[in-house]
Amino acid sequence: MSTKLTYDAIVVGGGPAGLAAAITMVKGGLKVLLIERGRFAGAKNFFGGVMYTHALAEILPDYWDRRPPFERPVTEQGYWMLSADSVVRIMHKSEQYRKTPAGSYTALRAKMDPWLAQQAVDVGVLLITKTAVLDCIRDEKGRVIGVSTDRPDGDVYAPVVVIAEGVNNLLTQKLGLINHDLPPQYIALSVKEHIGIPAKDLQARFNLSSADEGVAVDIFGDATMGMPGLAFLYTDRAGVSIGIGVLLSELARHNIKPYEILARFKNHPVIKPYLEGGESLEYGAHLIPETGYDGMPKLMADGVMVAGDAAGMVDALHREGTNLAMIAGKYAGETAIEAHHQNNFSGEFLSSYRRRLQKTFVLKDLKQYRHLAEFLESTPHFMDTYVGLVNEAALRYFSAHGIPKREMENGIFRLLTKKRSLFGIGQDMLKLLRGMRG
Amino acid sequence: MSETKFKPLSAEVKATLVPVNVDDLLASVKYYVDEEYAHIKIKDQGVCAHCETHPCLDFCPAGVFNIDRQGKILVGYQACVECGSCRVGCPYRNVDWNLPRGGHGVAYKFG
Repeated sequence: MSTKLTYDAIVVGGGPAGLAAAITMVKGGLKVLLIERGRFAGAKNFFGGVMYTHALAEILPDYWDRRPPFERPVTEQGYWMLSADSVVRIMHKSEQYRKTPAGSYTALRAKMDPWLAQQAVDVGVLLITKTAVLDCIRDEKGRVIGVSTDRPDGDVYAPVVVIAEGVNNLLTQKLGLINHDLPPQYIALSVKEHIGIPAKDLQARFNLSSADEGVAVDIFGDATMGMPGLAFLYTDRAGVSIGIGVLLSELARHNIKPYEILARFKNHPVIKPYLEGGESLEYGAHLIPETGYDGMPKLMADGVMVAGDAAGMVDALHREGTNLAMIAGKYAGETAIEAHHQNNFSGEFLSSYRRRLQKTFVLKDLKQYRHLAEFLESTPHFMDTYVGLVNEAALRYFSAHGIPKREMENGIFRLLTKKRSLFGIGQDMLKLLRGMRG
Repeated sequence: MSETKFKPLSAEVKATLVPVNVDDLLASVKYYVDEEYAHIKIKDQGVCAHCETHPCLDFCPAGVFNIDRQGKILVGYQACVECGSCRVGCPYRNVDWNLPRGGHGVAYKFG
């Protein structure tokens, strides 16, 4: 008979949400166990990606002194609208981005998350890796009182559990916090390659003066063959992260291999020169929950809270996720600390977690863009039509044809109305506005 | 959600895809394979036999699913990167998807 292992709080999952929750709770005096199924925190994690320092600063005010392993600060960012043979770029570069620490950095998760996990261990979190949580343990009243793991005698107990299990939220589903699995029309499958390119070449290609500059670009249109989704190209320290994300339902509908879309994108005449001579260092894939505000699970029940991807905390429009996750983890942690002070772990008491989040950008942004996923789903032609149009219009605008400019302008207008009726354009814009304004 | 709003991809557009041998991509991925436990299984091969499009053969980013001459779906779980697409994307929800045992499966070097 083994003794019952009991903690003040258990966190499931060593990603940004779970680590933020664990760090917050330990700092609040709780004895915290964090369980991670990978060989190390971050082993299973994969993103574009860009990290935002405001969130880190809320978890660890002295994070900069702890030397986070960022790749490059983002000093230039924007959108490329790609057609089959051309591109229109909307880029923003500013001296305002040149701060130390910068507002955002490109990062690689298998470096970043172990670093954050080390900070958690340093402040006193007990981190157990290589251990999968199989289920929540509940008492006779259905309250969560611990978790069972795949270790021998692997049951552990705590009056409060923070589930930060990631996009494949099996525990969240088992608890009945959401009554269905992820809907494929609101889930993007993203595949990415990290391609090594010597820093000197990289900087020359992207017009960067040093390692203190970096670019983050989101790319629409031909990159995803007109399917709802986007591609991205981010500069890392000595290489790029390049990938595509497309709604899973679209890939299934068209029987398309995601890595062939990526290969096609890498082969695009605009993209290819950036990758010349690069060495593919790693390939991977991840789901992005774009279920939005109305598709989120319940965030808490008796003895349990959910944070991060598991709760659908992704702002797909602004490619934000890890920052939402960290802020949610922090508030889940603070709520758990208060629950200990009041000795009340009921779902009703823990609902202050949700109320706290409602006051932050996390739920405010998710709420504002609650119709955006529907917009993309109901307007799948949007990207394709307008991206193609913008490129054709640009070509006419910038070419000298020996025709009067008024004719050129009329030609552009006809191009527009040929692709989509004026009424259709009006509808698209209204829908877009509705999606953006909430 | 309406099916009709989606344009089918034209054959010309599809023809621009660049063929890839997924094994070449996966060579860069680090795994700790669990030889004793397959974390992904087909629930009912009979359901797959009636599936006309077999989207799993294509959308799986690691090419885990293959089909043999008899039309049986083969699961090469060892190559799985644990994204969850098959669990969610199978039109018949016919994939039994579990977490690999702790410490097994993919372990990204860069992520």
